Amino acid sequence: MTDAAVDISRVEKRFGDLVAVRDLDLRIEPGEFFSIIGPSGCGKTTTLRMIAGFEDPTTGRISVGGRDMTGVRPYRRPVNTVFQSYALFPHLDVFENVAFGLREAKVGRAEVRTRVDEAVALVQLQGRERSRPRQLSGGQQQRVALARALVNRPEVLLLDEPLGALDLKLRTDMQTQLKDLQRSVGVTFCYVTHDQGEAFSMSDRVAVMNHGLLEQVGTPEEIYHRPASSFVADFVGTANRFAGRVEGVEADRYAVAIDGIGRRTARGPAGLESGAAVLVLVRPENLVLNGSVGDGGLDAHVVDTAFLGAERTVRLHSPKLGELTATARGSGEPPEQGSRVGLSWADDDAWLIPAADAAS
Amino acid sequence: MNVRRHPFAASVSLLVLLFLWLPLIVVAVNSFNQQTIMAGWGGFTTHWYGLALHDQNVRTGLETTLYIAVASALLSLAIAVSGALWWRRASPKARAVYDGLIYARIILPEVVSATALFFLFLKIHFTLGLTAIVIGHTVWNSAYAAIIVQARMAGLDPALEEAAADLGATPWRTFRRVTFAALLPAIIAAGLLAFTFSFDDVVTSVFLQGASNTPLPVVILGMIRFRITPEINAIGLLVMLFTVTLMSMAVLIYATAGSLGRRGNMLDIYRGR
Repeated sequence: MTDAAVDISRVEKRFGDLVAVRDLDLRIEPGEFFSIIGPSGCGKTTTLRMIAGFEDPTTGRISVGGRDMTGVRPYRRPVNTVFQSYALFPHLDVFENVAFGLREAKVGRAEVRTRVDEAVALVQLQGRERSRPRQLSGGQQQRVALARALVNRPEVLLLDEPLGALDLKLRTDMQTQLKDLQRSVGVTFCYVTHDQGEAFSMSDRVAVMNHGLLEQVGTPEEIYHRPASSFVADFVGTANRFAGRVEGVEADRYAVAIDGIGRRTARGPAGLESGAAVLVLVRPENLVLNGSVGDGGLDAHVVDTAFLGAERTVRLHSPKLGELTATARGSGEPPEQGSRVGLSWADDDAWLIPAADAAS
Repeated sequence: MNVRRHPFAASVSLLVLLFLWLPLIVVAVNSFNQQTIMAGWGGFTTHWYGLALHDQNVRTGLETTLYIAVASALLSLAIAVSGALWWRRASPKARAVYDGLIYARIILPEVVSATALFFLFLKIHFTLGLTAIVIGHTVWNSAYAAIIVQARMAGLDPALEEAAADLGATPWRTFRRVTFAALLPAIIAAGLLAFTFSFDDVVTSVFLQGASNTPLPVVILGMIRFRITPEINAIGLLVMLFTVTLMSMAVLIYATAGSLGRRGNMLDIYRGR
């Protein structure tokens, strides 16, 4: 087995009484676009700063490319960081900002020139080499920060919410560019953001953190469709939840009794036992609205609709299931407010979460 | 009613300008006046400048003053810069104490700190003279320097130093290439300011000068006690031009240095940002 790009092993980080990261195990594979997401204060930035060496783990071990990084200062680590504030040197022009790392590494004059030119071309800033950072737009500064980090050919590039300061349109463009860039240079990216959409659109794998704990690691699709906890389900999208109890296991499916509506079939993680309390999760886009009451006899009335362009969010109230959210296509006539509609979902679209997690 | 155009405001402004500029103009004009008693215009001459430049008292006074001003400015910068480096990592409480000490040194009347030092030096048998004056000047000069350097330091994004470390710079290289480079305009401005303050100081110097080592401003003071000659006007104009040039340089360097990182500098406050 090849060495992981980053291997975080049983790491805990405390600041006084505050535990920022607890018992973290994480493996980032070489060449991967890996994201860590979570609300502010979840420990994602602390984790990134520990990989960079700006913080030392209280306990545990971090390796980069198979080498133990314990006690290794930031300037000796084979990683580079793109900072949230970009942290470009205001007294240096673009060329010298990008060349900073090479000069510290005592790279020869001619090679500095070729490599800086390459890096500047990579982020399409040719012609701006002599500009000072403050003369550049936010997007351009962001690209200088990228070039300044990538020019050193790090084993891992760490990105701390690098698109946070940009407006929405530019952010979407930069997401595409970042993903293309990562593919072309083949460097392992470790990307931290609180924006799940951003993480999903670029990443091979995503880790979700909350209160210093790792909640789940997986591909964006796994995380969205098969969340490990109620927190993950909510953080990466809207979820309708119904309380229930496992009644039986049939191959990879579970029979579950949902409070108020009776027995249904749903998928779920392995290892749930009969009798276990669970939450049944159905995403809004998987709730099907029918003109008439469905075969299960489920119905609801329309509380409100909101038009979002491509789709419409429909808020519903069901006598048996309470408040619900569904997504309908944006074209055509909207369901009338106050009208009664039938409700159904496919068995495959229902996912079980152990109710022990429901409290978090 | 427009206060700015009220006759009272106008006459006050006029008086201020008159009292500020008229003596300076008189000094400048008389420095070229041939008439020794300066009762009227006796024709143009540069004779007094020659006299001033060859006056042995003036020359040693100037040498003493330059030595004191340079030493005090350098010492003040060392205190201000190391203080600012400590300040950014200090606890809020320690910062408040440190800031309090700075403001105390500025607010305290100079004659008080000079007298206190005078008695202290007598008590510990520290010989009055050049070193004593340098220490005396550094008491308030380091406070002014600290305020200027600290204002710049406050605008320095700590992420810049992390970025330098991230790019392979050792702590010493980070200090040289990022921290010091960012502080440099403030250091130059503070140095020029401290030099100027020290250059024209009388009070502290008089208290601490001891037997010899009389700095230029004290020499001038001594000269006008006995007789007023156009030579003093010539010295006055030269000192004036010198200090005005230094101050303008300090302001210019600070103003053109531009803002740092996210929070900017003192001039941004001035611009109303």
